[in-house]
This record gives sequence, structure tokens and C-alpha cells, in this order.
Amino acid sequence: MSPVGQEKILGNFETLRVLGRAFRYAAPFRRRFAIKYLLSLGALLPLFITPWPVKIIVDHVIEARPVLPANYPAFLRPFTEALSGLPPNEILLWMIVLQAALLVLVGAVGTGGGERDRAESHLAGGHDQASRTENEANEGWSLASGLFGLIDFRFTIQLTQALNHHYRSRLFERIQALPMAVFDDERIGDAVFRVMYDTPAITHGVYRIILTPFTGAAFALATVGVIFLLFGDQPIFWQAALGMLAISLVVSLPFTGILRRRSRASREAGASTTSSLEEGLSNILAVQSLGAEDREQDRFGNDSWSAFANHRAVMVVGMGIFFFALLPGMWLGTKVFLYGADMVIAGAISRGDFILLFTYFLYLLFTCIDLGTLWIRLQESAVGLHRVFFLMDLPTEEEAPGTPELPQAVERVEIRNAHYAYPDGTPALRGVNLDLERGEIVALVGPAGAGKTTLAGLIPRFHDPDEGRVLFDGADARNFTRTSIREQVAFVFQETVLFDASVEENIRLGRPDASDADVRRAAVRAGADEFIRELPQAYRTRLGRGGGKLSVGQKQRIGIARALVRTSPILILDEPTSALDPETERALVETMEEARRERSVLVIAHRLSTIRHADRIAFVDEGQILEIGSHADLMARPDGAYRRFVELQTVGAA
Amino acid sequence: MAHPPQNAVPPRSLEPGSKGLGPLGHLGQGGAQDRLPFRLVLRLLGRCLQWLRPLRRHLIALFAGFGLVAVMLFPIGLLLLDLIWTRVLQGEPLPLEQAQLLGLDPTIVTHVELLAPTVRRDLLESALLVVLAATAIVTPLVLGLYYYQVWILQRVNQLLRVRLLDQLQRLSMRFHSDHSIGDAIYRMMQDSAMVTQLVELLFLTPISTLGRYIFGILIVATFDPMMALLLGLLWPPLLVLGYWFSQRLRVGFREARETNAALTSRIQETLVGIKVIKAYGAERRWQDVFEDASHTAFDAAYRSRSRLAVFTVSLFWVCGIWLIASGAFAAIRSAESAPLMLEALGFSIWTLGLYNFFKLRFSDGAGQLRLLFKTWGRTQDVAIGLDRIFELLDLEPEVQDEPDAVPLESIGKGIVYRNVRFRYQADRPALEGVDFEASVGTMTAIVGPTGSGKTTLMALLLRLFDPDSGTIEIGGQDLRHFQTASVRDAVAVALQENLLFGTTVRENIRYAMPDASDAAVREAARVAGADEFIAKLPNGYDTMLGERGTKLSTGQRQRLSIARAILKDTPILILDEPTASLDAETEIRVLRNLAEWGRGRLIFLITHRLSSIRRADTILVLRDGQIVERGTHEELTDRAEGVYSSLFRHESQPGHAVGARP
Repeated sequence: MSPVGQEKILGNFETLRVLGRAFRYAAPFRRRFAIKYLLSLGALLPLFITPWPVKIIVDHVIEARPVLPANYPAFLRPFTEALSGLPPNEILLWMIVLQAALLVLVGAVGTGGGERDRAESHLAGGHDQASRTENEANEGWSLASGLFGLIDFRFTIQLTQALNHHYRSRLFERIQALPMAVFDDERIGDAVFRVMYDTPAITHGVYRIILTPFTGAAFALATVGVIFLLFGDQPIFWQAALGMLAISLVVSLPFTGILRRRSRASREAGASTTSSLEEGLSNILAVQSLGAEDREQDRFGNDSWSAFANHRAVMVVGMGIFFFALLPGMWLGTKVFLYGADMVIAGAISRGDFILLFTYFLYLLFTCIDLGTLWIRLQESAVGLHRVFFLMDLPTEEEAPGTPELPQAVERVEIRNAHYAYPDGTPALRGVNLDLERGEIVALVGPAGAGKTTLAGLIPRFHDPDEGRVLFDGADARNFTRTSIREQVAFVFQETVLFDASVEENIRLGRPDASDADVRRAAVRAGADEFIRELPQAYRTRLGRGGGKLSVGQKQRIGIARALVRTSPILILDEPTSALDPETERALVETMEEARRERSVLVIAHRLSTIRHADRIAFVDEGQILEIGSHADLMARPDGAYRRFVELQTVGAA
Repeated sequence: MAHPPQNAVPPRSLEPGSKGLGPLGHLGQGGAQDRLPFRLVLRLLGRCLQWLRPLRRHLIALFAGFGLVAVMLFPIGLLLLDLIWTRVLQGEPLPLEQAQLLGLDPTIVTHVELLAPTVRRDLLESALLVVLAATAIVTPLVLGLYYYQVWILQRVNQLLRVRLLDQLQRLSMRFHSDHSIGDAIYRMMQDSAMVTQLVELLFLTPISTLGRYIFGILIVATFDPMMALLLGLLWPPLLVLGYWFSQRLRVGFREARETNAALTSRIQETLVGIKVIKAYGAERRWQDVFEDASHTAFDAAYRSRSRLAVFTVSLFWVCGIWLIASGAFAAIRSAESAPLMLEALGFSIWTLGLYNFFKLRFSDGAGQLRLLFKTWGRTQDVAIGLDRIFELLDLEPEVQDEPDAVPLESIGKGIVYRNVRFRYQADRPALEGVDFEASVGTMTAIVGPTGSGKTTLMALLLRLFDPDSGTIEIGGQDLRHFQTASVRDAVAVALQENLLFGTTVRENIRYAMPDASDAAVREAARVAGADEFIAKLPNGYDTMLGERGTKLSTGQRQRLSIARAILKDTPILILDEPTASLDAETEIRVLRNLAEWGRGRLIFLITHRLSSIRRADTILVLRDGQIVERGTHEELTDRAEGVYSSLFRHESQPGHAVGARP
């Protein structure tokens, strides 16, 4: 059974571990995070500068009171000393200059909502997991605007993208390194979803872990400081804010598990939607031929709606937290409001001061809510991260460092007592012995499902035998890297996969440094040259998706050319002729004969015309080699399985 | 690679010349150029409104709900604002009506110079209690309405997604062989999501921002008409910015969407071909290709989003000038205690209070206008996403039912091809004048070299394409007279490429006939020679395939594919190299079963296997898109120089060949 989709449900402890791991993954970027941290702190400064010009205008221009530097905090002394003694009009002029400078540099002229800006580029998303994530993958923001904000913004988006690119690439690399058997069952859409839409959770999580607590705390402290500077010791504000932090923690914690499960369901449903879409489109020929359009639409529609519903469920959890935190929060806010109002009523502060004070309090309050809900908001990131790490953690084909390469061109391959079972436990090979020598053609024959392809796959180590060994010139295959072994093998698959690239590039996949002449020669030998030259741009014709413009037989011939261009000592052909007409098949058999001069050839086939050219024929059934020998030898056995196989075919034909 | 003229330029109702798909009928080739002029963005968005129509009742209910909440809250809010701001904080006495409404003693709250601190305090406390109570009541209502809104918008998105899939399924294989699945995934998952933004972008944001902007101008006008004029003239510079940026934004957003779609395709394609990549040790190269695509996509997103950020920052720069100027003006007026032109909102001269109030109104008005333009910037991306949807939806499916098409009732005597010509691309003819007849109760074998047009011949019968010229008649009537779906219902196909779905064996067999009984499934499996191996699977017919399931060999999948075709129980059966991967024994059994099952039906058999061909009543030999020979096996082998006899010379003398080899 494929392990994909069998992730464990995350607990609190595992969530922490997953987040810790995301943190470690971000380590190579720590310098850039440090810079981003400094930029964030820098972006907070304007918040504390912009109130002053307004206050100076109010006090010294409108009310025309003289500037008394002693009334200002120490860091403003030099500045206020320069202003003292100036007539109101000149003070106003200087304040305009200062505001203009602040506008250009940090994009703020005052404290009100309409008087400051934040640089960001959040785009519209829909109400589903995938489209929301597009923003996360390209998140960039600054708490300031203006020139500073733009610099901060650009730095952030570059950091986000670098992180995401890094994670995407690592995940993709790991996916490519997974053992072949995983891909038999893998849902492509699911993997697409993980690479595209689960990886951004890493950046999101890391930002939340690294930036939110520190910038939040710094901001909160600074706000308390400013309140202190402006209005003296007012403990109620930070006490209320701390109270809000506690409330948001207490209210949100019971939702942790629910949110984790809901957001996991949402991601899974999104991935299934992608999968069913991908599957339906890959099989569009079958869908159209079988008239199953409505069925496909129902299938996709159900998946898609369930993804939407799951996304909505995540939203409802958020609403629940909001609602339960709202009333106690408002009660706290009311207390503070009453306190401030009392100060106004008592004449201690003006109404304007009250607005300023309450605005600062709201900053503080929201920062504390941010901090209090940090953990709950991390859950969604953790779920995405978990899906990424899960795929990354599947055992891959990667070898221990220092594994030697298969040094020489292989002369002799021996398979000794090989046993192999499919991941679901069905036995595929049961004690197979087979030799393959340079210059030899060996044919594997037998009923469908007998294990022929599995047996051939042992040689390039698509899978290793559960029991028994594969030997290359006497040395165990497991001692060498898979890459070096596969370099010596050219494998033609039953179903040819062509890539969305030119014909030439598709053939050259066999050997990237092959010359044009090599490519052409291989195509000629595979019987593909003729039809390729008839294509609009011959060898440079771009094949659409999956080579859709070619017939199955033509694709197969390109697959064979791909193998022939590879100058490897072992050639394995898995039913290369099944879709070929007899004429092409004959040409191919000649090619095989020619190829054997410098290689060993292993061919799986049903057609007598292909098989009888083999030096030895192995008859495979139920995972065992029942008979092995030359055509004449095997035909000489009166009750032989091979003989029966041949007779059925010739009787059928005669 | 030009397509034939009849489907070269698909009709697009919106500006076919400037933003049509070009002569190739290809999607996503816009590259970096902007094909969506400024004035067309709104028309494009307007065109999307049709997708909201199915949900219009819900939308009306939603707006009614929000309206109700607003109607409930607005007077309460006004009253509270007045109470807290004017009465509590400023200490001004309440008007008599207000005092009566609130049931307060006028002697304390109305007939006084200034409210007593204790009264102010009491008033405040009761006001805040009202706030708390209103919040507790209204919040669940608002949350519920928001949930409803999301449900509606998701529903709109869902309908669009299904419609897109429907369109993709209508498009012929000619389209699909040229377009990547990854791109379609991106259009379905990302581009279509933009439809959920329509209500907000077209109605809510413009109405609320413009409303508040105009309201701001009016309020400011009561203080100073010059300042109102200033605020009223904020839009021209913003409009210039918007005009200058929006085209650049669109180019960037299109590029970002296209490169991200290309990245999706890369991933999908690599995973489809992963076995080949691994077998040929090409992982490193594919990794490079992936990383390049990822870089390209991120770079495009970076450029477009940076542009948007510069745009919004510039918007604020312009607004900032307005704010500083108006602030300075108000400061000077307040310093002079200048009189107001009109006595408004209790003010008659400029004071500090008015200064604060004025600044708040002015910056709010300016901020609303800025928000509108910022939204406009974001709208460019939404428009590009929706344009990509229209690109797909506006493609005219090649095969369409005639308006008067009727369902196919009976296939009559059989099928006739008359001078059928077809080409996939202008310079690559696939069929060049094919004529033949096939009658019910016969088996017709189609043989010929690879690429000679055998599969195409059958694809035309299924109406996966329509012939460029010539006709195909079924029961004496042109195929095009019938509804495509009914034609496909009359034909069952076992395909060369065996496509299975990630579900159980049973579901795979009854894929085209979801209602088939278990007995029927078993019988189809028996005819296809699949019953034996299915019985050996871990869970028999309930074994999961593909996704997290059991692996089948090619030959086994081939038989499931045949069983699926048989289960459809149709008068026409097409077997496209169905037995290529079967061993001789299985093949013979399957063909024998089929021959028996096929009595009274019309069977086409595409194959290279002589053992299969021999069973056919008629053999058509296809070469380069033409039928070069036809007849029975005996007739054709008798022609010494014939294509058929040369094709099968080897296999037709198996006894000799087998014996001859030492």
C-alpha cells in the first residue's frame, strides 16, 4: 500500500516538532531574517514620529503657545530648541517640510487611519485553499510605506519567494528520488498540490514564528512607552492589553485540535479536487470515447464542492474564536474607554488626547490579540508543513554517501533466487534465477501478470529483491549507486511517455550529449526516421502534451530510438513490438540483432516473430521461471509450457 | 502548425480582433503583451455577471440581510455617537426629544448649561451597555450573513468550475493534444476563483468608497468650499496614475498567471513521466528544468506585485500632498479662529475641535478614494484571471450538435464511410478519401502500418472529430444528424491506451454504466477473460486500483478495458489493439468470447495480430490514410504482391518459420 495519504493526525507535541523543523529549515536564511527583523523595527518608528508634527502644529501653531523644549522628551530636545522662538507661521512651514519628508520616506503624515499607508501587494483570492495560498507564496509587506516601505516590501517578497523556491525545489527533488513503486499508485494531482500549495505554509509558519512574537513584543513595548511619554503612568492600558492576550489564548486554545483537523481536511479536499481534475483530463480520451462526461463532472463537482465546504469549515472555526473572544474583549475595551472618558470629564486630558490615547491603546490591543492567537494561527501552517514533510520523509532511493559507482561496462548480469512482493503484499517473483551475458538476447515469455516486467525491473534497480540478489559481474547490485547502474541500462517501457518538447529532445533524453547524427541514426534504427521527417518541423517538431499528435505505434518507436541512442551495455525492451505492424516489427528485430553485438538484450514479448530470435527464452508464470532454453530446446519438451504457448499462437494463426 | 480554417479563429463575443486567440486557436500565448485594453476591463467584468445570475435570489437575500442589520444599527450608532461624543465628552445638554426618547429626566439632562459629571458618567455607562448588548445580538447575525456570503460565492465558483470542465470535455482531442493539463488545472483552481471577487469589486467597493468620498466632500464643504473643491479634485491625479499603471499591471499579472500555469504543467508532466526520467537518470536535468520554471514564475509574480506596491505607494504620495496641504490650511484657519461660511454641526468658527474633525473627514474622504484606486489595481489581476477563463470558454467546440440533431435510435443496417478526409494539421493528412461499409453482424478488421490512420478512422465514428470532407452514415443517415452523446452511447470502445481510474475494479468496469448490476459486471469480465485474475486479487472486484491500490499488468488492464466496453452493451464495438499485450492463450479465449457475444453487433478490430485478424469477415488494409486493399484473409493472402500478404508473410507461415530457425 502506498503510504501517501496515511499521515497521522497531528497532536500538540507533533505540531511543535513540525514547527521546530520548519524553523531549522529556515536556518540558511537567518541573515536575511535578521535584516527583515531590523526593517520591521524600522518600519515601526514612523508610528512614533508622525504624532509629533501634529502635536506641534496643534500646540504651537493653532494655540500659538511658545515652544518649551523642556516639555518634550529628551530625544526631541535639539529639534524643539531649533523651533523655539520661531513665529507660528514658520513653525508651520517647518512642520510641512517635515511631514513632506515623512511622506516621501515612510508614507505617513499623521496617526489616523487615512493618514498612513502600508506597502503591500496582496491580491484577491477566492474562497478556497489553493487560491488563498497563491498569496502566501508571494507574500511581501511592510508596516511602513514610502521609499522605506518599498525597500522593506521588496526585501520581504524576495525573502518569501527565495524560501518558497527553496522548499519547493527540495520537495520536488525528494519526490523525484522516491522509489519507482511509490509512483505506481501516486496521485499526480496530490503531488502537484503539495508542491504548489502546501509548501508556502512553511514561509507563513516561519514568519509567524520568527517575526510576529518579536516585532509584536517590540511594538507593544514601544506603544506602552509612548503612552507613558505622552500621558504619564497609565497602567490600565497595558494591563487591559495583557488581559486581552490572556483572553485570546484562553478562548482559542480549545479550538486547536478542531482547527487542525478542519484545515487538514481542507487541504486534503483541495488535493483530491486537483487529483480528480488531473485524472479526468489525463483520461480525456477514455472519458469522451465512453461518453462518461457527466460522470466525470459529477465526480469532479463532488470533490470540488467538498473542498469548498471544508474551507468553509475552517472559516467557521475562526468565526467561533472571534465570537467568543469578542465579548470579553469588548468588556475590557469598555473599561478602558470609561477610564479615558473619566479623564476627559475630569478635565485631565482633552478630547483630542483621548482619541490619540485610545488609538494607541487599540494598537496595543491588536498586537496582544496577534500574540495571543499566534498558536492557533500556527495550526494551519503546521498542517501544510506536515503534508510537505510527510512526502519529504518517505524513504527515497538515495544512497549512503560514498556508495561506489558501477565501474566497468557490465559483461554479465545474474539474478539469483530473487523474491519480490508488491507493496500490497501480492507476491510477484518467487525465486527467480536468470543470467544475461554480453552479446546475448534473452526473451521473457509468459501470460499477462506473470511478473515479467517486475523481473526485468530488477536489473536497473527499479526495485530491489526482497530476498535473493542481482549481481553485476559477480558483485551485488546493491553495492553500487542506482544512477551508475541505470547509466548502463536502456529501458523501453510498455507505454511510451513523451514529454512536451521537440522530437529530438525526446530522443536525446537517452543521452544528453548525443549528436544530431546519433539521434538520427537511432531514429532510423527504431523505424522512426521516416515519419519524423514528415512532421512539420521534422526533428524539431514540438510534441504536445504526452506526444498527443502521434499514434501509439509512432510513440513507441520514439521510445525505442530513445533507448538506442543510449550507448549502454544492457538493453531491456518491455513489449516493444506490441503496437507495431509486422513490417516495423521485422525492422526492429533486425535492430535488436544488430544491437546485441555490443550489448546484452532482454526482451519481453508475446509475438513469436520477436521471440524466436532470442538465444534463450525464459517462460515465466506466477512469478517463477518454469522453463529456460533455446526455442528448439523448449519446443522439444512434449508437455512444455512454452511449446503449448507457441502452439496456441500458431494454431490460432494457421 | 496551423489548424484548418474552420476552427482557426474561434468567435469571441468580446473584441474578436484585438484579443482573439490568434490563428492558432491556442490558449495562453498572450506572452507579455496586454490584450485587454483599459476600457474593456469593465466590460469583461460586466460579462462575468452572467455567472452570478443563478445565485441572484441568494444575493438579494444576502443584501437584504446586510441592509436589515445596517438599518438596525445605523440609528443606534448615530444616537450613541451623539451621546458619547457630544453629551458625555463635551458635556452639552440633550435635546428634549432625545431625553424623552431615552426616558431621562429633562430637568437634569436638558434644562442645564452643562451636564454634571455624574450624569455624564451615568450616561456613558448606559451607552456602553447598549453597545455591548447590540454587539452580542448583532455579531452572530453578521457572522451568519458572512458565512452565507462565502457560501454564495463558493457556489458561483463551483458552477464556473463545473462549466469549465464541461467545456474542456467538449473540446476535441485536437485541442487536448496541444494543451497541457497543468494549464487547465491552473485555470480551474486559480483563475476561476477570481469570480468570487466580482460582487465586491463591481458593487461593494465602488459604492462604499465613492459614497464615503462624496459624503466627505459634502461635510468638508460645510466648513470650507475651497477645501471641498480640493478634495473633489483629488481624483484627476489618481486617475492619471491609475491609467499609467493599469496596463503595466495587467501585463505583469498575465505573465505571472501564465508562468505559474507553466510551472504547474512542469510538475504534472514530470510526474507523468517519472519512470522514464528515473530509468534514464535524468532527475538532475528535470530538477533544473523545474527550478528554472519556478524561478520564472516567482520572478513574474515579483515584478507584477512590485508594480502593484509601487502603484499603491504612489497613490499615497499624491494623497499625502493633499493631506498636508489641507492640514496646513486648517491649522492656519484655526489659529486665526476664522469664521465658517455656514454654521454647521454646531461650529461657527474654526477651533481646535473643528481642526481635528475636519482633518478626520478630509483624510477619510481621500483615503476612500485611494482605496478605490488601490482596488482598481488589484482588479487588473482579477480581470486577467477571468480573461483566461473566457479564453477557454470562448473556444468553439469543434464537434457540436446541430440544432435539429435527433437521438440515434438504431444503427440500421450498419455504417458507411463515403470519401472521408481528415487532417490533424494542415500539412499532415491523416485520412485521404476513405470509403467502406460495415454491416451489423460482421467483424471488420482494420490493419496497416503504424500511423496509417486506423485509430483516426474510429475516432471519427465516435465524433471525437468531424471529417473535413466526406460523410459517415449510420443507419443511412449522416452522423451529424444525431446527437453526439447518443452516438457515443451506441459505441463501446476498448482503447489502445488503457486508462484506469483510481477506484475499485468493479467501478472501473462499470465506469460508463454506473448502474450496471454486479452480475452484469461479472459477465462482462468473463467475456473479456478478466474474471480469473480479478478473482485472484486481494479483494476481488472491490480491490482498489491506481491510487493507493493494486498494480495491474498491461495485459490485465487491457482486459478490464475490454470488459468496460462490453458492459456498455452497445450495437457497435471498437477494439483498438485490445489484445496486443495478451498472451496467445488469453487472446484466443477473449476473441472466442467476443465472437459469440458479438453476434448481431457490429465489431471493428484494429490489430496487428494475425491470429485476431483472421477471424474478421472483412479486412481493410490502410496505408497513408487510404484503403489500399480489402477482402477476407484468404482473398488478401492470395494476392502475392499485395500489401497485406507482404505485411503478414512472416506470420502467415508460422510453421515453417518456427521450424526453420535452428
